Amino acid sequence: MTEFTFFGGKGGVGKTTVSSAYALECVDAGLETLVVSTDPAHSTADVFDQEFGDEPRPVEGYDGLSAMEIDPDREVQDHLSELKQQLGSQLSATMVNEVDIQLEMAHQTPGAYEAALFDRFVEVMRNAEPYDRVVFDTSPTGSTLRLLALPELLERWIDRLMDKRERSIDLFEKAAIGNNEPRRVMEGDPILARLRERKERFEFAGEVLREDATFYLVLNPDELSIRETRRSVETLAEADLPVRGLVVNRLSPEPDPDENGRGARYLRQRVETERDRLERIEREFDVPIAATIETRVEEVRGSILEDVAADLEIEVEDGDRAPTT
Amino acid sequence: MTLADRIATFRATLEEWLRGLYHGMIAHPAYEKIEAEAEDLEDAFMLACFPDAFGIPSPVSYYTAELLPFLEDEYQAWERRMWDRQSIIERKGHQYHF
Repeated sequence: MTEFTFFGGKGGVGKTTVSSAYALECVDAGLETLVVSTDPAHSTADVFDQEFGDEPRPVEGYDGLSAMEIDPDREVQDHLSELKQQLGSQLSATMVNEVDIQLEMAHQTPGAYEAALFDRFVEVMRNAEPYDRVVFDTSPTGSTLRLLALPELLERWIDRLMDKRERSIDLFEKAAIGNNEPRRVMEGDPILARLRERKERFEFAGEVLREDATFYLVLNPDELSIRETRRSVETLAEADLPVRGLVVNRLSPEPDPDENGRGARYLRQRVETERDRLERIEREFDVPIAATIETRVEEVRGSILEDVAADLEIEVEDGDRAPTT
Repeated sequence: MTLADRIATFRATLEEWLRGLYHGMIAHPAYEKIEAEAEDLEDAFMLACFPDAFGIPSPVSYYTAELLPFLEDEYQAWERRMWDRQSIIERKGHQYHF
């Protein structure tokens, strides 16, 4: 049984680092793991110092770890050109232009990017059997997590569309009395078939997300990121997708007690504020803090990543879910 | 032509006229009403599918765009109806034969 772990959070809080480190932990626990990154900046490539593509590829130097990078922009483009091709083969030349405009428009709406990403997520979930654990490093847009909360809403939307379509076809059939050919027939209607297929996808996604997925939010000890995290926790809770834990990243290290220079005083003060904020997080959130990670001076990659993985105290084996046998 | 033949012809003509009258006055307007209703529903469906044609963003328009290749006739008819329709009264007025 594959399990899915999502890491979300504000941009720049270190989601990629945390999720890569978590993936390493999973590998150490003997799980076949796949890291899926949706960051167009391709930071997974930087962390592991290797190039990854659209398909899962084993990470060199780590047994049992694979990685892939999804580029939502490209997904949208692919979707668009695929539809255009279909259009060209099915429509009369006069209509193609008309419909082309509509297509372009649909692919530039604010939701297109997320929809493409969502599609790809579902795809990955469908083909996840070879892995015991799939770790999603979601892109910084807050809406990615929001979108994960959406399958139910989309399902209902599609339901409404299907209902309208069914009713109008039904009426067309009734209007054709005697020898008249009805203008539309229910049997084999491509529109209904397409909508039904979509609906099944949403149902699948909703089920997997509710049953086999866990969510972690990464944050830094600063106001903005705490506020954003609170919003995400609420959105996900509303969608019945509770957040399992928070990972507080980039904590300042405490200076040695005998140090008393300007830098040390600055650090001591920072550590003080951060401790206050940590306490506040613990007090105000229903979600437990799963791990705290100290800031690193260098870019996190290679052996430092293993350090960070050691810092992560997230339990890899799910405690409160009975192991599937 | 015998009398019986003439009566038969007369009855045939009468029957045709009666059927025509029934069709024109009762049956056909009824079909038309049903079809108009179906068209209205279809319009609502199209509008729900492609609200961005009117500048309203929709969370599913990315998905409904997939339907476009199959909607050639509907799309054209829909656009025409959207242009034709000055007001809802005008559209509903089609149903009545004054």
